[in-house]
Amino acid sequence: MEAFYFGPSESYLLGVFHPRQSTNRNEAVVLCNPFGQEYLRAHKSMRRLAINLSHLGYSVLRFDYRGTGDSAGDLTGVTADHWADDVEHAIQEAMDMAAVPKVALIGLRLGALLAAKAATNNKQVSRLVLWDPITDGSSYLGDIKSSVDQAQKQGSRSRILEPDGTIHFNGFSMPPPFQETIASLQLDNLTPSVPAPIAQIVSHEAEAFTNLTRQLSERPDFYYELAPAPHDWNYVDHVGGILWPKPVIDAIEAYFDQRAF
Amino acid sequence: MREQVVMVGDDLPLVGVLCEPDLDKHSAQNTAVILLNSGVIHRVGSCRLSVTLARNLSDRAGLATFRFDFSGIGDSEARRGTLTAAQAAVEEVQEVMDYLSQWKQYDRFILYGLCSGAFASYRTALADQRVIGTVQLDGYCYMTWKSYLLHYAPRILSPSRWIRFLLRNLGFSKQKKGAEVSGIEERYFEVPDFAGYPPRQEVKQGLRKLNDRGLNMLYVFFGNEHYKYQKQFEDCFNPVAFGDNLKVIHHPYATHILSEPEDRKAVVESISDWVLSLIEDKQQLTDNERQTGYRVCVCTSNENPN
Repeated sequence: MEAFYFGPSESYLLGVFHPRQSTNRNEAVVLCNPFGQEYLRAHKSMRRLAINLSHLGYSVLRFDYRGTGDSAGDLTGVTADHWADDVEHAIQEAMDMAAVPKVALIGLRLGALLAAKAATNNKQVSRLVLWDPITDGSSYLGDIKSSVDQAQKQGSRSRILEPDGTIHFNGFSMPPPFQETIASLQLDNLTPSVPAPIAQIVSHEAEAFTNLTRQLSERPDFYYELAPAPHDWNYVDHVGGILWPKPVIDAIEAYFDQRAF
Repeated sequence: MREQVVMVGDDLPLVGVLCEPDLDKHSAQNTAVILLNSGVIHRVGSCRLSVTLARNLSDRAGLATFRFDFSGIGDSEARRGTLTAAQAAVEEVQEVMDYLSQWKQYDRFILYGLCSGAFASYRTALADQRVIGTVQLDGYCYMTWKSYLLHYAPRILSPSRWIRFLLRNLGFSKQKKGAEVSGIEERYFEVPDFAGYPPRQEVKQGLRKLNDRGLNMLYVFFGNEHYKYQKQFEDCFNPVAFGDNLKVIHHPYATHILSEPEDRKAVVESISDWVLSLIEDKQQLTDNERQTGYRVCVCTSNENPN
């Protein structure tokens, strides 16, 4: 494993590269994180997935988007387009480091939506794996706002700050430009422009997932799997407990083991 | 400010990020702040607090900082051995101090930690003289008669509390702990495995030792069930006379994970101010010693002209 900074100097990104540990699959993998508290709680899962995939022969790059984790800055002035650019930087970095011609993207929650955006019309992307994806940015924000409202009723001081509309949710801030650009993203609109095969691997059933499956089933290369596992990424306790949904991690690993591209 | 990823150790390295101020902004070339993990959250800290604090300390206080993952947490691989997690934490902080001393010539360190990170900073300070200050968020403290009173008085007067108490004692409800609180199956939910609190007398002796050594201590307590009023820490460890070595800040409305932005901002600013003031005091002391040393030298020279 190698950890380092990469990308433009003004928006440098933390990367963690796991070189392949067995037969070369000639394909690298980039993992795309979810947002905020979900990212903290997913770190261990993402790391374990990266290690397991590297043992299957895939070099894997994990990274932090700008304004998150150990990467540069905060989210002031950052948009979803910037994060999609960060995914593209990560794709290039993974190709360079692994010396492979193509990269698979795995995105969890909001990371799936951003990975889909980065994969549109992108011939470097060999496949796109949507793990418990956010299917509609606007609904995602609506859910966050209702959670904040609910928390306020239960005595939380979390709130939507006036006058600029920044949301503070579970310890992380989402400024208006970020919200606006996230709200404009929908998997329905993005996936038709993704030339690579798509897999949808989910830990539970939901109406949004069913609708997405229906739409994607028209693609000949579509893969779907339900691997029941805990999925409450926004549950926050007082000691910083971490979610560890092993069955769905195993399912993604098995998909990469059985299907080489 | 410049940041670089650093791997400490050849075999199963500890992964961290060194954050250094611009060369013309260094306030103390020989001092670095080390930020420790809290619980099982990786080095960015609860609500990214460690990153915000590290950068603030570099920008505002002109100090180098190093945030890293203990072995088995975040990006650092687990190491095998017979040490408990608490013992290993002290050894790993010392390993980091040795590394930074050799590489960057830092020889004085301020340790920062929240919760289990605070406990580790306390234990490391006891074990290593290079530590000149600790910043402990929700560090070791125990109930006093006054805190018991403040804790239980409202409960005694609350009918709903009595009902819950009776239901629990009659076996109709259960107080949930650890992973149970989440409702998530334990095998899918990792919570920190905190070692029990050491006995109060042990911590009191430790603090007395640190205080006698002149360790500077900043304690910040949040709104939890165990810390009830500003002076609880001093009452708890009475008769240790901390004097100027100790500063205690109490944020009674802040959560343990500092989820509110204004609480994080206030805590980061107060830590940076305290650290800056500590560095200035140490600098002043060094200057005074240098001046005193010069006088002694002259005096000696005058008194002993061979």
